[in-house]
Amino acid sequence: MAAEVADESQRVLAQPSPLAAFWSAFAENRGAVVGLGVVSTIVLIAIFADVIAPHSPIEQFREAVRVKPVWAAGGSWRFILGADGDGRDMLSRLIFGARVSLFIGVAVMSVSFVIGVALGLVSAMAGSLVDVVITRAMDLIMAVPSLVLAILVVAILGPSLTNTIVAVTIVYLPRYVRLVRASAMGELNKDYVTAARVAGVGTLRLMFVTILPNCLAPLIVQAALGVSDAILEAAGLGFLGLGAQPPTPEWGSMLADSREFIRSDPWIVTLPGLAILITVVAINLTGDGLRDALDPRMRRS
Amino acid sequence: MILYFLRRLALTIPTFVALMFVTFVAIRLVPGDPVEVRVGEHGISPERLEFFRHQLGLDQPVWKQFLHYFWQILHGDFGVSLATQQKVLTEFLTLFPATVELSFFAMMFAVLIGVPAGAIAAVKRGSVFDQSLMMVSLFGYSMPIFWWGLLLIMFVSVQLGWTPVAGRVDLINYYYDQPTGFMLIDAALSDQEGAVKDAMLHLLLPAIVLGTVPLGVIARMTRSSMLEVLSEDYVRTARAKGLSPLRVIGVHALRNALLPVVTVIGLMVSSLLAGAVLTETIFSWPGVGHWLIDSIWRRDYPALQGGVMLVSTVVILVNLIVDLLYGAINPRIRHGR
Repeated sequence: MAAEVADESQRVLAQPSPLAAFWSAFAENRGAVVGLGVVSTIVLIAIFADVIAPHSPIEQFREAVRVKPVWAAGGSWRFILGADGDGRDMLSRLIFGARVSLFIGVAVMSVSFVIGVALGLVSAMAGSLVDVVITRAMDLIMAVPSLVLAILVVAILGPSLTNTIVAVTIVYLPRYVRLVRASAMGELNKDYVTAARVAGVGTLRLMFVTILPNCLAPLIVQAALGVSDAILEAAGLGFLGLGAQPPTPEWGSMLADSREFIRSDPWIVTLPGLAILITVVAINLTGDGLRDALDPRMRRS
Repeated sequence: MILYFLRRLALTIPTFVALMFVTFVAIRLVPGDPVEVRVGEHGISPERLEFFRHQLGLDQPVWKQFLHYFWQILHGDFGVSLATQQKVLTEFLTLFPATVELSFFAMMFAVLIGVPAGAIAAVKRGSVFDQSLMMVSLFGYSMPIFWWGLLLIMFVSVQLGWTPVAGRVDLINYYYDQPTGFMLIDAALSDQEGAVKDAMLHLLLPAIVLGTVPLGVIARMTRSSMLEVLSEDYVRTARAKGLSPLRVIGVHALRNALLPVVTVIGLMVSSLLAGAVLTETIFSWPGVGHWLIDSIWRRDYPALQGGVMLVSTVVILVNLIVDLLYGAINPRIRHGR
């Protein structure tokens, strides 16, 4: 105890590095730490899917169609979580599914982050007509219910993994644009921006080097929560048959395939959804922790 | 007030025009010629093809086609469904009550549980109740609702046999006119015994599924809004006056805490309709969402185009109403912009 107190006071005196300060604020939230742990595990599973998975996610074992999981009567260690209607190993499909879902989530987040930052900053800096056009376009996207818009995009482009990413990116773009625009507008009138202007800083430098870093905190939080929203949205599309196409082991489409076994083999229905839920909850917990640590004003008390 | 009303209305018009433009362009980007989709695989003579193209106005320049489309929509003509040869607007209006009924009860479920639970959690901050509610709320808004729906069907409908698996009404035992399209009202109007109970049982699981995400959001919103209000001076004054705790919390605090919650509820219409697409698909609920998905699989692009247009119009209108109401309640908003 005493050592801890001493340690604490030393840290205060030594002005902790920004990273250490961030970590101590983040670690205050136990849920966030647990969430981060789970997210890291899922990321590792996704990266090392080839090594971990006992079977190929798309190989069909004719003799193993709807084999029960190991804890049920008739289950075997060969297919720990059982096999689906086509005799494919559930565990392997779930493991590779993590890769697909995380890829979608991260891809959507990074693309909409980059485009959103660019559009938002341009909108805030350029003002007048450009601002009006961008703002109206974002209002339009927000007016169409997310999944309906995604469905329209997929109807035009055709269902595939890539087009899922395109569709979900379009759906979530307005959040980033509006957030960046609003916080950049708030920064524009501050003294340090005026000072930079007077000093002759060019527009691009002003945008990305002077203003952007001061808008980053809420953006990072939004990006973290955006990953989980994108995963949910993409799984919804997959469930409707408009996302990743078979035999891609995508959690949403695995659920859609499982619907016919709702009476006979509940575990085929239960497992993919559980995987989605755990992933999304873990990311949301981490996002909440980030919010508390990075942006005390947005604390959800 | 009138000025605010007009300004807000004027802001809606460009969004609406842009929406028309986007749906117009989108449907032309869809692979496949609309005439060929209509005549099927066998093909027809070039003259007939020309005739159909003329009939659909496809031989006109694109800008004329857009103006025509624009003009039609202003007159309430959203095209004709390829699958049923019915007017898209008629189809939409037949199915819309089912979606409204489902969404209404989903919101009831979310608000009636979420608001009191959130308020209690705020008052008993840090208690076991508070912590478990926040856990439930987290799982609520993280829920893949299509899975949640399947789970409920599996346990409540299939294993326990308490509720029907799909649809809005048990057609084997009940058949009655549907003058309003709202099954509960129609069932009550019909004098068939047990019809209302049947309609309610059909509604129960879909409403819970669609209401789960809003429940999580509303409980959390109410809690944090309530926490903020509870530390305000007027609450302390009310307490100091010696009012009963119930009165302070129920009347003074909750009423003010609900303002942001009401706004959020109004703005949830868009996500509710998105959720309805999934919920209706799982429960074979004959509403607008189910119809949009069907239109895709049938390659019924006029229905899809009109449907997207109509659904989005509903969202735009509801958001407009919410904004206007909010402006009416809160003068700061009205004069701010």
